Amino acid sequence: MSKGDQILDVRNIHMRFSSKGITVKAVTDVSFPVHEGETIGIVGESGCGKTTLGRCIVRAYEPSEGSVMYTTSEGELIDFLKIDKQTMKKVRKEIQMIFQDPYSSLDPRMTVFDIIKEPIVANYPKMPKAEIEQKVMDIAAKVGLNTSYLKRYPHAFSGGQRQRIGIARALVLNPRIIVCDEAVSALDVSIQAQVINLLHDLQKEFGLTYLFISHDLSVVEYISDKVGVMYLGKMVEFAPTKNLFEHPMHPYTESLLSAVPIADPTVQNERIPLEGEIPNPANPPSGCFFHTRCRYCTEKCKNAVPEYVEMEPEHYVACHRAQELKLRGFKYDE
Amino acid sequence: MNQNDTIIEVKDLKINIKIDEGTLTAVRGVNFEIKKGETLGLVGESGCGKSLTSKAILGINDKKCKAEGEIIFDADDLGKVNLLALNPRGKEIRSVRGKQISMIFQEPMVAFSPMYTIGNQINEATLLHITKDKKKAKEISLEVMRKVGIANAEKRYDQYPHEFSGGMLQRALIAMALVCNPKLLIADEPTTALDVTIQAQILELMKELQKDFGMSILFITHDLGTVAKMCDRVAVMYLGKIVESAPAVEIYKNPQHPYTQGLIGSVHKIGTKTQERLFSIEGTVPLALNLPAGCGFYDRCHKRIEGVCNVYAPELVEVGGEHKIACFACTGCKGGECK
Repeated sequence: MSKGDQILDVRNIHMRFSSKGITVKAVTDVSFPVHEGETIGIVGESGCGKTTLGRCIVRAYEPSEGSVMYTTSEGELIDFLKIDKQTMKKVRKEIQMIFQDPYSSLDPRMTVFDIIKEPIVANYPKMPKAEIEQKVMDIAAKVGLNTSYLKRYPHAFSGGQRQRIGIARALVLNPRIIVCDEAVSALDVSIQAQVINLLHDLQKEFGLTYLFISHDLSVVEYISDKVGVMYLGKMVEFAPTKNLFEHPMHPYTESLLSAVPIADPTVQNERIPLEGEIPNPANPPSGCFFHTRCRYCTEKCKNAVPEYVEMEPEHYVACHRAQELKLRGFKYDE
Repeated sequence: MNQNDTIIEVKDLKINIKIDEGTLTAVRGVNFEIKKGETLGLVGESGCGKSLTSKAILGINDKKCKAEGEIIFDADDLGKVNLLALNPRGKEIRSVRGKQISMIFQEPMVAFSPMYTIGNQINEATLLHITKDKKKAKEISLEVMRKVGIANAEKRYDQYPHEFSGGMLQRALIAMALVCNPKLLIADEPTTALDVTIQAQILELMKELQKDFGMSILFITHDLGTVAKMCDRVAVMYLGKIVESAPAVEIYKNPQHPYTQGLIGSVHKIGTKTQERLFSIEGTVPLALNLPAGCGFYDRCHKRIEGVCNVYAPELVEVGGEHKIACFACTGCKGGECK
C-alpha cells in the first residue's frame, strides 16, 4: 500500500447515550475519510462530541450506528466496528490512542516499564522476555525517556515525561493510526512544543496517521493536514487546514476562529460573539443545530436541516448559506 | 509617577518550603507592583512559583511555606498595609481577603466544596462583606452568574458543583470572585480550562468589569495568547524569579531573555508560515532544591556564558522603557557584579 491511500473511512457515525428515558445524541451522522500518513484535526468546544467520536473510532464505545471502514496493513477492507473478536485481536494493535490527562491515564501502581510492556504482553503472549525488554527500551529511547528510570513509578515523572510514557505505550505495538485525544493540552508551552515535535518526528519515521482531537486551534493548525469542526455532535465543516482557516465556510467556524487569542498584543482581532449557550444535546434545536446562535440565520435554517456537502473540492460544509456568505478567516503570510 | 496609583507592591518576596529533602526555595526574591486599573501578567511554566506568589498576597499558602519580604497593599480602611505582617487568621486580612482582593483559582473542581450549592457558595462572600439580607445576596449572586454567562441562573443557583461541567464551574468561580467588586483580582489560570469562545467571553467580561470598577488584575497564566489579549505589562517568571518584565507590546515585539524568547517561539501563530519544527526549550525546569549559584536558566540556556552565568545570579536591570531583564548575556553585565 502506497502512502496517501485511504486508510480509514468514517461513515455516518451516530452515538446515542440513554439514561432515565432521556437520549442524548453525542455524535450525529459524522463522516470523513482519512488517508495514510496525514493528520486530521478535530476541533470544537467541550461537549461537542469530539472525544466521543474519537472513542467510537477506536471502538472504546460501541457506536449506535455507522461504520469505520479500515484498510488493514494486509490491504483488506474491514468494518472496524463489526469485526469479531478474533479479527479484532489482530487489528486492534493497529489503531491506538493517547489519552488526555497524563496524570490519570497511567496506573500509579505499575512501573513505567510495566506500563509500556503491557500492550506487548497482551498481544504477543509468547514473545520471549528479552525481546520484550528490547522493544520497551527501544521505544522509550525513541520518545525521549531516560531508559535508566523505567523501573520507577509514574509519580516520579513530570507531566511532559508522563505524556511521553503514554505515547510510548501507544507506539510500542507499531500502530498505523493513533487517536490523540487532547494529547498536549495538559502540558506547559515549552513542553508542549517538545511533544508536538516528537509526534511530528514519529509520524515522519513510521508513516503514522493521526487523528488529533483538541480544543487548541493554534496547535491543530500547526499539526493538521485537514481539520474537522464539530458542533453539538455534528461535523459542520471539514477541509484542508489552510482552506478552513483562511476561508471558513460555516458561521460557527468563523466565530470559533475569531475567538482564538493571538500571542501578539498589537493584533486585536475583532471577535464575532456567539449568542447564547450551547443548546442541550438532549433537546437539540430544529433545522440547523447552530441556528439559535447564528448571526446569518434565516427562516430556512430554522426548519430544514442543512446537508453536509462538498462545496469546493475537499471542503465539506453543512450550511444553507455557505455559497453566498463571505466569512472571515485568518490572513496567511505569503 | 504618582505613588498613590500603586495598589500593591511586592518587595523581595521569598518563599521557602520545608520538605523532607531540605528547603525548597520556590520563590527567590520577586519584585513587582500593580497600578490602579492595570493588568499585570505573570507568565511562567508550572513550578516557577507564580501561584505561590499570588497566594502569598492573600496569605493562604500552606503553613509549610515561609514567606519573607513585603507585600504592601493599599487597603480601603487600613491604608497602606504590609499583608505579610498581618496574622493570616486575623480580622484585618479577612476584611481584605475576598472583598478587596479576591482570587479565581486554577482548578474549579477543587475550589468548590461539593457539599454546598453553587448559590450558597457564591453568597458566602456577599453575606460576609456586603449585606446580611439573604434575599438581596441571592439577587446579587444571580446577577453575577448571568454576567459570567451561566444560563438558567435561577435553576443553577440551587445546583451542586457536581452538576456543573468544568467550564460552567469555572464561570461560577469567576462569579464568586467578582461578586464583591474587588480592587485587585488575582486570576490564577482562570481560562485554562475553558473553550476558546468562552475564554474570549470571560476575558472580555473581565476587561469590562475592570473598566467599570477600576479594578486591577494580576493575571497568572502560561498561555501567551491570553496574556497578549489581557495585559498591560508582563512579567516572565522562571524558577522563582522574574527574568524579564516589560509592557506587553514590547515583550512580544522585542523579547530579550532567552527564556522569554523560547516561550514566545514555542507557540505557533496561526497564519504564519509553518516551520518544520516548533522552537522548543531543551530539558525541563529543575527542582528548586539546593540550587547552585548563578542563573537558574543556565542549564537550558543557549546564550549562557561560562564563568559568568553559572557563578553570579543576574538581577533585573532596566534597559529602557520599563523593560527590565535579568540576564548577563543580554545586558552585557550592566549593573551586575560579574565585572
